[in-house]
Amino acid sequence: MSAAADTADHHDHHDDHHGISHVASLKVLLGTGGTLLMLTLVTVAATKVDFGANINLALAMAIAVVKATLVILFFMHLKYDRLFHTVVFVGAILAASLFVGFTLMDSNQYQQTNIWNPDAPPAAPFGPRPTSG
Amino acid sequence: MTADQAHPPHADDHGHGHGSPFIAHHYDDAQHQFDSGKLGIWLFLAQEVLFFSALFVAYVLYRYHHPEIYSYAHQYLDVKYGAINTAVLIFSSLTAAWAVRCAQLSQRRGLILCLSLTIACACGFLCIKYIEYTHKVHEHILFGRYFDPCVSSGGAELLTKNNNCAGTKSTIVWDYGAGSATAGCITDVDQDPRAAGVQASCTVKEYGVTEGAEPAKPEAKTDAKPAAGGAEPAKPKPLETFKRDITEQCAEESPLHHEGGGEAGAAHHAQKYPCWRPAYQPAVCKKGVGILVEYGDHTEREDIRIKAECKPSPKPADAGDLLADREQTLELGKPQIAPRHQLTVHEEQQLEAMGPPPEHTGMFFTIYFAMTGLHGIHVLFGIGVFTWLLIRATKGHFTPDYFGPIDYAALYWHIVDLIWIFLFPLLYLIH
Repeated sequence: MSAAADTADHHDHHDDHHGISHVASLKVLLGTGGTLLMLTLVTVAATKVDFGANINLALAMAIAVVKATLVILFFMHLKYDRLFHTVVFVGAILAASLFVGFTLMDSNQYQQTNIWNPDAPPAAPFGPRPTSG
Repeated sequence: MTADQAHPPHADDHGHGHGSPFIAHHYDDAQHQFDSGKLGIWLFLAQEVLFFSALFVAYVLYRYHHPEIYSYAHQYLDVKYGAINTAVLIFSSLTAAWAVRCAQLSQRRGLILCLSLTIACACGFLCIKYIEYTHKVHEHILFGRYFDPCVSSGGAELLTKNNNCAGTKSTIVWDYGAGSATAGCITDVDQDPRAAGVQASCTVKEYGVTEGAEPAKPEAKTDAKPAAGGAEPAKPKPLETFKRDITEQCAEESPLHHEGGGEAGAAHHAQKYPCWRPAYQPAVCKKGVGILVEYGDHTEREDIRIKAECKPSPKPADAGDLLADREQTLELGKPQIAPRHQLTVHEEQQLEAMGPPPEHTGMFFTIYFAMTGLHGIHVLFGIGVFTWLLIRATKGHFTPDYFGPIDYAALYWHIVDLIWIFLFPLLYLIH
């Protein structure tokens, strides 16, 4: 292909916006990769320490979120990308969190209404729950 | 992915002034085409997030309501494999991102190398997943009601290994000295054996008298009469007895032999770890309970060969071969073969601590297989895409003004990595 020379005018600044998209510098790529690998070790090591189940879970999730953020910002170039792509992606993550969160909140409402369990009396399907007394 | 409706590479442009022959007609320029594709892939990634979120909902919901299942079942997963796979995926993400850079800078050899590395890592990931899955399939650590680690081709070894069942480390005791052999093994009892008097029979495939070093021919199945012909003289009587009495004693107060801890210990175990599936309670309930083989006056016989369906654990010499699937020949005259997996002290402690699985442990593996399986399919798809890109890269299709496909595939690959970044701690690193 003889077309490679088209963007020659952009060649003067290498790790910046180059041609039609941002070019990630090697330093950023390797740094991100190294950090991710290190965080993997950290998260494995953190499991071996007992902080209590909840804190361990929170810690693991926090590390995972940090790793995910690194991947999104640098590997996926979102930091240098159009804002709209961020909006799309973060929107999806928000929607997913709502999905998880609301289902979790809601699921407690049905603990007593196992329709397959004849021993558990069904709750009123609609309207306010009858107040006791 | 987009942009594969590219024009045939006739070198000339279409009046747009761009260089790459893969810039389609309907775009203003290379930038326009790239941006359109990029928006498309981001929308796809958003969809992927939502797609996987359904499984995360299942995970979170079930974990919230049944935390004990998670803290138990994750012990079946090997953190080592999970961690290696995480590293492999992260590395492949790095090479994928690097591939984009190479394409942008017209580094064709670098691009080919990076794409190849990405594919290799993806294959490596799947290989490790294959090892994990195979192991689980063999040990029946499966989804839903197929979570059945005691009934497995590994047999008693797994019983002992997983120690779900009674804190029994010696699930199999062949006790010839007493004229009986007891074995914890697979049975097909459908009822709760604790209900009075249930006796499970174990299918004996083969038995016979060994003449010297030469094993006798298999004579009959369990419920078949032993064939009179073709056998040597001394056999008949004891074998008949033997055949009739292959029963499994399932009652909790089994009178069978126990080694070590004795009956008190076994009873203690039985209480501490109530059986969690009647089907193989006999196998798992306690020490030394299992198949009772009576073969009459054993002193008359030098060797009686029994082959049962009950696949006991391999001999110590073979211990360690987790996936071994072989039958054990019982030989009379050796007081205690007691074949079992040789556990290290650490393993024993670990297993002792594990105890029996909580109810519905299989649900963890339903979720595990659904999530890792779907993720694995994504990896598989990624391999396909990257192979396609590799072929195109060798043809030199990608130029600084046309590298969209590489970028889009890399983005897809990062989301696959991203999902694994969450799956790894959620499945493997439960504390």
